[in-house]
Amino acid sequence: MKKQFTLNRIAMAVSSLIGLMSVVAVQSAHAADKASTKAAGNYVTGDFHNHTTCSDGSISMKKLIDKSAKTFNLDWFVQADHGGSSARNCTLAEDPFEPVPAGLGLANSPTGPYPPATYPTAGQPAVTKKGPNQTWESTLPGGRADIKGDGTATPKAMWRWQEIKEFQYKVAEDESRARQKPIWIGVEQNAPGHEHVSTTVLKGQLPWPQAGVAGNATLQAQFEYCFDNSDTDTSRGAENQFDCSVAGSANNGRLDAAARKITGTNAAATPNLGHLKTVEGIKWMNEKAPTTSYFIPAHLERAGPYDPVRNRGFNIEHLRNFNNAASNVAFGFESMPGHQASATRGEYSPARGNPPVDSVGVGTYGGSGIYAAKIGGVWDALLGEGRNWWFFASSDFHNRGQFGPDQRESSQDFFPGEYQKDYVMVRKGANNLSAEGIIDGLRSGNSFATSGDLIDRLAFVACTVNPALPRAASKALIEKAAANALTKNAEVRINGCATMGEKLVVAPGADVIVAVAVRDPQGTNNAPYAFANPSLKQIGMTQPLNAPVLDHVDLIAGNVTGYVSPADTAKYAGLEGSPAAVNTSATVKRVFNSTNWTASAGGVRVMSMLMPALKASQYFRLRGTNLPASVPFETDANGNPLNDYEVSPFDQTLPGKVPCADAACPAHLRTANGTKYSSYDVAAWSDLWFYSNPIYVQVTNSFKVAGAK
Amino acid sequence: MKSYRIPLFAIVAGAVAIVSACGGSSNASSDATTLLSTTNLFLANLGTTSGLTSTTASDLFDAKYLDMGIKKVDVLAALSTNAEALPANGDLSLFPAAQYMNATFTNCDSNAVCTMMATVINSDVDVTSVDITTKVKIVSGVLYLYGDQSTTSSI
Repeated sequence: MKKQFTLNRIAMAVSSLIGLMSVVAVQSAHAADKASTKAAGNYVTGDFHNHTTCSDGSISMKKLIDKSAKTFNLDWFVQADHGGSSARNCTLAEDPFEPVPAGLGLANSPTGPYPPATYPTAGQPAVTKKGPNQTWESTLPGGRADIKGDGTATPKAMWRWQEIKEFQYKVAEDESRARQKPIWIGVEQNAPGHEHVSTTVLKGQLPWPQAGVAGNATLQAQFEYCFDNSDTDTSRGAENQFDCSVAGSANNGRLDAAARKITGTNAAATPNLGHLKTVEGIKWMNEKAPTTSYFIPAHLERAGPYDPVRNRGFNIEHLRNFNNAASNVAFGFESMPGHQASATRGEYSPARGNPPVDSVGVGTYGGSGIYAAKIGGVWDALLGEGRNWWFFASSDFHNRGQFGPDQRESSQDFFPGEYQKDYVMVRKGANNLSAEGIIDGLRSGNSFATSGDLIDRLAFVACTVNPALPRAASKALIEKAAANALTKNAEVRINGCATMGEKLVVAPGADVIVAVAVRDPQGTNNAPYAFANPSLKQIGMTQPLNAPVLDHVDLIAGNVTGYVSPADTAKYAGLEGSPAAVNTSATVKRVFNSTNWTASAGGVRVMSMLMPALKASQYFRLRGTNLPASVPFETDANGNPLNDYEVSPFDQTLPGKVPCADAACPAHLRTANGTKYSSYDVAAWSDLWFYSNPIYVQVTNSFKVAGAK
Repeated sequence: MKSYRIPLFAIVAGAVAIVSACGGSSNASSDATTLLSTTNLFLANLGTTSGLTSTTASDLFDAKYLDMGIKKVDVLAALSTNAEALPANGDLSLFPAAQYMNATFTNCDSNAVCTMMATVINSDVDVTSVDITTKVKIVSGVLYLYGDQSTTSSI
C-alpha cells in the first residue's frame, strides 16, 4: 500500500502549522496558561520569629544574625522580638573572646566544626550587666533621658517602637548590606485578645539589595505602638505623634483621645475587644503596606483555646476573621512552633497560664501543633473552604536552656536555621533576592517547612492529564518535570500544572496526576549526636541521629466546599474538634515509600499518583517523616504523629517514654532510676517532619477555590 | 515486518523533517513525517475549542485504542468535556502540551501495529523531555494511535 503525499498537502500542513502557532500564541494569554508568567525562581530558606535581649532573648542582634545568616546559612532573616518594652540594649554585641563552655562548644577557629569566625567582631560577653545585657539607660549617651514615652521603672525600659525605629533597624540594615542577604525587622506582636503573632511591615525598610540612602522602620514601629497588647505607652511615640486610625473603619471611635489607639483589650467588661483590636491591626497593615506586610499567628495552640475575657489562644473563627479582614496580609500560621528542644516540646503543655489551661491538644504532635498535625482538623477545615491559609515554621529562638549560646546541645531552643526552615519560592528571575520577593513568596503559599533537614528540596505539582497522550507518557513527563525542577531547586513551569499555593481548574471527570520529587539530603544535619535514633531503636532500626532518612511521604487530600459564612456560627466558630473545625473528607490518599517511589543518586525520590475522574473541588498536600508507622510514642498505625507530651512529660519528676540507652546519650536528658530518656533536643532530632502547602484543584461545576489563583 | 525511522522532528522549531525509512515505499518516510506532524498539530491545538472538537481526534485514534484502560471513546469524551467547559471557564487549565520527536517505528506486525519509540517534549518554559514507548497502527501511511493495549488503570 502506498499513500500519495502531494506538495499541496505539505503546503496545507505548513499553513496549518503557522496558523496553529498563532493560536498557541493567543492561548498564552489564557488565564490558566500560567507557566509563561512565572519568572524563574528558587526556594530559599529563612526564619521570621526569634528573640534577642531587646525582649526576652539571651543574645545580641549581631550574634543572632550571625548564627542565622552565617553559621546556619539562611538565605533571609527577619529579626522579630516581642512587642512591649525592654530594658536591655540588644544592639551591643558579645565579646568574641569569651571562653566557650566545655562539652560540645563551638571552636572559633578556621578548622572548627562550624564556619570560622562564628562570633561577631566586637563586644562583650552576654552575662549580667555586660554585652547585650547592659541596659539602655546605662549605655545611651543621655542615659534615662534618651528613653522616650511613658515609664517610671528603674532602669527604665524602652518601648519597642523606639528600639525598632532608632536603634535596631540600623543594625539590621547594616548587617543585611554587609552580608548581602535580605535581613529586616519584624515584631512578634502580643496580639490583643490572643497570644503571639509574627508580623512584618516592610515598607520603608531598605535591606540588601537596596543601597544608598538608609531606610527606616517607622511603620513597623508604629504598628507596634498601635497594636501590641504589651505596649501601653500613651505618648503617641513622642515626637512621632502616631495615630492608629484605620481609614474608613467604624472602630476609629474607640481610639483613646490622647493615645490615639484602642487602649483596652479582652476583659470581663470588654469581652472580645482585644480581638477586634487585632483585626484592626490587620486592616491597618492592609492600608499602609498591603503587599509588604504579613500577620502569621505563632504557636497558636500553646496558650489554649481563645478566651473572650483574657488574652490567650486562637480558635478557628479568629483565623477566619483574620483571613477575611485581609487575605493578602493574614495568610497562614506557624503551627510548627519553635522551642523544639524545650522540656515540653514547643512549650506546649497542660495547665499553662493563670488560670491554668491546657494547650490545645496538650502537646505538639511530631513537633507541630494539633491545628496542622491532625488530618481533618483545623488546617484541613480552612483548606476545605478554599482559603489561602499556609503552613510555616519558625525557631522562636530565645536561649539554649542550660547551655551557652555557642554550645551545640540545647535544652530549650534551636537557632534559626539550625533545626527548622521555611523554604519559600522567590521568582526573582535574574534579579537579586529581595525582601519584597520573599514576602510575595510567603503570601503565595509556594513554600514548605521542614525540621532537621529531613528534606532540603521539594517539587510538588498537580497537572491535568492530557487524554491524547499515552498514560505512561503523561506520568513520565510530569515526573521528569518534577525531577528537573528539583535539580534546579525550582518549580515545575508547564501550562496545565499547578504547584503549592496555586489551583488547577479542570472540567468534571478530568484526570489529574500529582507528582512529587524530594531530596533527602545526604550526610549529616546540624544535630551534634551520632548515636542511634532512640525512637527508631525501639523498633530495631539503627540510624544515626544526625543522619536521618526520609521514611515515607503521605499524600493528603480533602474536599473544598467553599467559604463558611460568619453568619453560620455553628460551622464558622468553635473549638478544635467541633463541627466548625473539621474537614471529614481529608484523608491520606497514598503513602509513598521505598516500595513505590523511584530513588536515585543524591537522595532524590520521585513519585506520582493518578487521581482519576475528579468530580469535586479538592486540595492535595504532603507531609513526610523519618519515622515509620507504629513507632511507640511517636506514630500511630496510620503514621499520624502522636502527642509529644507522651515522650517528654510536663512533670519533670516523671520518666520519659523512649529510653536513650546509647553510651553517647548526653547527660542532660531526663533520667529516672539510672535510665536516660529521649527528651529535650534529642527528642526533637529523633522525630522529624516536613509539611508542604496545598495544591488546589477546582472542578468547574463544583465549589470555587476562592483563595488561590 | 516493517519498520520506519524518524531521526528528528522538531515541529515547534519549524524544522524540516529528515526522514529515512526502511521497508516502505519511496514515499513512506514522507508519509510518516506527515502523519506524525498531524499528531503534533493536534496535540498543540488542544488549548482551543476548535482543537478539542476537531474531527482530527477521531481520525487519530484507532478504533481499538486502549491505553491503561482508556479507550478511544474515553479520550473523545474527555476532549469534548473540556471543549464544553472552556467557553464558560476562562481560567480552565490547559492540558499539558506535548510534541513527539525522534520517533522510530519497529516490530510492525501483520495487522500493521508497530512499536513507536519517541521522545515526548514539553517546552512551555523549561524544556522537559522523556522517552516513551507505545503502539501505533500504520495503514496506508496513516498513523493511528493504538495505546499500550493495557487495561491496567493505575499509574
